Amino acid sequence: MADAPPLLKGTLDILVLKALSWGPMHGFEIVSWLEQRSSGSVDVDDGALYYALHRMEERGLIESEWRLTGNNRKARYYRMRAPGRVYLKSAGASLERYARALADILALRTG
Amino acid sequence: MSDSRRLFHLDPLRRKLARQEMRDELAFHVEERVAQLIARGLSPETARAEAIRRLGPEYANTGEALGRSAALKERRLDVRERLREFGDDIRYAVRGLATRPGFTAIAVLTLGIGIGANTAIYSAVDALLLRSLPFVEPGRLLDIVQTSGDDGKQPWSYPKYTFFRDQQRSYAALAAHSSSQSILTGADPERVPVEEVTAAYLPTLGIRVARGRDFPMELDAAPGAQRVALISDALWQRRFNADPSVVGRSLGLNNQPWEIIGVLPPGFRGLSGRAEVLLNLSARSAEELNEPWSMEFSLIGRLKDGVTIEQARSEAGLIGPRVYDAFPMAGGSLTTSKAPEKWSAEARPLDTIRVASGLRRSLLVLFGAVGMVLLIACVNLANLLVARAVARKREIAVRLALGAGRGRLVRLLVTESLVLALMGGAASLLVALGGTRALSAINPQETLRVQGLTGGIGAVGFEGIRLDTSALVFTFVVTVAVGLLFGLAPALGATRTGLVADLKDGGSGAGFGRRVGASRRLLVVTEVALALVLLAGSGLMIRSLGNLLNVDPGFDAHDVLTLRLSVPPGELAPDSMPGFYEQLQAEIGGVPGVEQVALADCPPLNNGCNGTIMTFADRPQSATGNAMVGVHWVSPGWFGVMRVPLRRGRGFSDSDRLNAPKVVVINEAAARQYFGGEDPIGKRVAIYQGGFHTGAEVIGIVGDVRYGTIDSTARPDVYIAYGQSRLSRMMVFVRATGDPSALAPAVRAAVRRIAPYAPVFDARTMPSRVATASAQTRFSAVLLGFFAIVAVSLAVMGIYGVLSFAVAQRTGEIGIRMALGAERGRVLALVLRDAATLAVIGLTIGVAATLAMTRVLRTMLFEVTTTDPLTYVGMVVVLGIAVMVASWIPARRASRVDPVVALRKG
Repeated sequence: MADAPPLLKGTLDILVLKALSWGPMHGFEIVSWLEQRSSGSVDVDDGALYYALHRMEERGLIESEWRLTGNNRKARYYRMRAPGRVYLKSAGASLERYARALADILALRTG
Repeated sequence: MSDSRRLFHLDPLRRKLARQEMRDELAFHVEERVAQLIARGLSPETARAEAIRRLGPEYANTGEALGRSAALKERRLDVRERLREFGDDIRYAVRGLATRPGFTAIAVLTLGIGIGANTAIYSAVDALLLRSLPFVEPGRLLDIVQTSGDDGKQPWSYPKYTFFRDQQRSYAALAAHSSSQSILTGADPERVPVEEVTAAYLPTLGIRVARGRDFPMELDAAPGAQRVALISDALWQRRFNADPSVVGRSLGLNNQPWEIIGVLPPGFRGLSGRAEVLLNLSARSAEELNEPWSMEFSLIGRLKDGVTIEQARSEAGLIGPRVYDAFPMAGGSLTTSKAPEKWSAEARPLDTIRVASGLRRSLLVLFGAVGMVLLIACVNLANLLVARAVARKREIAVRLALGAGRGRLVRLLVTESLVLALMGGAASLLVALGGTRALSAINPQETLRVQGLTGGIGAVGFEGIRLDTSALVFTFVVTVAVGLLFGLAPALGATRTGLVADLKDGGSGAGFGRRVGASRRLLVVTEVALALVLLAGSGLMIRSLGNLLNVDPGFDAHDVLTLRLSVPPGELAPDSMPGFYEQLQAEIGGVPGVEQVALADCPPLNNGCNGTIMTFADRPQSATGNAMVGVHWVSPGWFGVMRVPLRRGRGFSDSDRLNAPKVVVINEAAARQYFGGEDPIGKRVAIYQGGFHTGAEVIGIVGDVRYGTIDSTARPDVYIAYGQSRLSRMMVFVRATGDPSALAPAVRAAVRRIAPYAPVFDARTMPSRVATASAQTRFSAVLLGFFAIVAVSLAVMGIYGVLSFAVAQRTGEIGIRMALGAERGRVLALVLRDAATLAVIGLTIGVAATLAMTRVLRTMLFEVTTTDPLTYVGMVVVLGIAVMVASWIPARRASRVDPVVALRKG
């Protein structure tokens, strides 16, 4: 985990939105979700995650609500709003294109 | 926009809210992160440092503050915050309970029954044993009795009372009283309980009349005083419509006019607890009152200020023998075989004789039993909570890792059990309400008397049992105590666990380990032992009841209706009595459905029939001593109606009249005890009642009839024919061709036609009298049986819970065993052996405890010893089977474990 590469700037928002497209989650659930899906290669800085969540809430991409967890703890759950879905679609698609191009370039063999 | 900048745009209140929300959110995150890291193998300290580091510089300060504040919170909280925290805990507990309705319902139900039964029995104990008597300073009131040898207690005669009164120096006020029944004559004759008292009666008790005036003291100056009466508030309302001008009016009692001089305060019914009228006993004639051996009065005294109970006791011990010497028995003592034992006197605080000692014992036994049920309920709940704590250990470990103090967590867990207990306490009030209503409805006066539980003062009765403030306080205290009892141990256990192990363990593995397993097993053993004590106790009571029901009382109760009537004194000329008896029987005999009719003066199983001394013409009295016999007046047909067998000689006939030679019939007990090998038929005896002291001839022997309590064998009895001795006291016995109770109205009407002036009362079938005779035993047996059933159900539930849990914990181990080739039968045996071990230990302890505790039941049992082997073996077997059945289900579940599933999970 410690030697996982740092996240590229701007990608965290999209990953968080992607996680939330599966349904409302609280912060720690989002972290766990991302770590699991990437088999540990995406290592989210906890502070950065909350920074991103609060910023996106401010921008109206997501909204939050206090709810009880499965074992009766109070937690702040985030949920995707319509603008967030739109943003995920467009920004997600361009990130995907960018990542594919990056992968193609890196796949080129010298000589 | 950065978070800090955003905050500036908000008004202060919302800013504060937002800040608080963020802190909460991050706190939650840190908790989850710590738990995750510890589960991956980090130590709690490292995990916390790492969690905070991961928040990054931006939030790090908040995070560190969080870590510190959790640890410091405990000490920093002021009272108000603690209160708020308590409120939070309650909310948390209620939420937690609401998510598990099954568990909550079982717990509330268990507690409701347990606490409710305790409150009900407590209410009875309070009303009968604890509540202060309804008189002014009841602690200063003493009851004074005469004592004859071998612990006998004797009432006073009027001359002896005045002698004692004039000699004593301890009492500020001293009064004689005696309760009886009188007939309220007039348009609608009615039998009413009355008390004959001396003028100092009300002042002694500290009671003042509600209207009119009390008996004036000069009334007691000499016998033959004017007849004056105080009436109860109830009688004033019922017979006089609460007429304010009742004082000065006349009351017809036993065909004599009494002047009403006052009305008693509402609720006051004298020491007998029943009196409708108080009469001045000085209204009796001098001949009647001056008879020194006519003993019928009780004495009540109020101590002077400064006189101790001890002083009064020793004074009574001094004056008692002087009283005895002052009134030598006419013709010397009857017990001439040895020097007569001097009578003395004894003063006892009224409070110590408030109820019969047998009743006191039954109540305390029931109280103990119901307490044990509650204890079992607590053990069961503790068990459930331990199991729950196991399920929650991860949550608890995380909280501990985050620095929550152990005290804080224990408080949280105990709050939950307290909330549960309070819910149970609230539910228990319904049970208690039903219980107290049922208990207060018991008609104790007669039930207790026919069971031999005599003594006590009537003013203390079952009707006083109610759900009052003291019962509510008791319920609350018990509820809180119970909540602490079943909540504290699991809470302490749960918060003591190894932190790292529990965090690593996802909540599905090896559990709390050996210690918790051991403590739960201990709880189960306790439950089994307690359940056995209750089961054996109730078993003994039920065996007693069975024995009582099998007693042959000496007569055939079936289809017999009984009713009493009393003829007011002076209503019939003595000479017209025999004609009246015949007329009455003829009229009743004509009622359709009446097969046979007869009269007797006292019913069987009444425990309070009249008796006297019998002497023998052919023996000096010194040889026989005091030959006591019960004396019963019967009409010739009575033995036939009651199917009392004639053993020898003949019964009475219509020709046994006043002028004919006097004859008596005796029972077998009298024949055996007083005639030994001789044939009693034809022997002459003298009976000191009914004009038979001049001698009579024994003409027959009949079978024994139990007149006392049903559990005491018949004593020597003598029967006298109504035709030869006039007695206004009589009871009608009717043998019906069908349902005897249906005949009651017609028989009443027949009596009314012959004797409109004689109130008819106490109409009951003979089977119901027989049932009353065993009511007290039945009552104890039924209640103890109910408690035992509850106890066993709880114990079975407890065993089932523990074993299910153990099986779930050992799934992995069982899987391995089965994978290695263990057969299902062996796995089944493994679990059952576990259960059997618990059961055997519990039963062994239970038998020992039972042997120690059932000793208190000894006087309540009938023809069963407290060590009755049949009961013990039976109950051990019953409980053992119940335990094994309860463990069968988890055992089967274990034997069905699929090794593949179990191993993958493990």
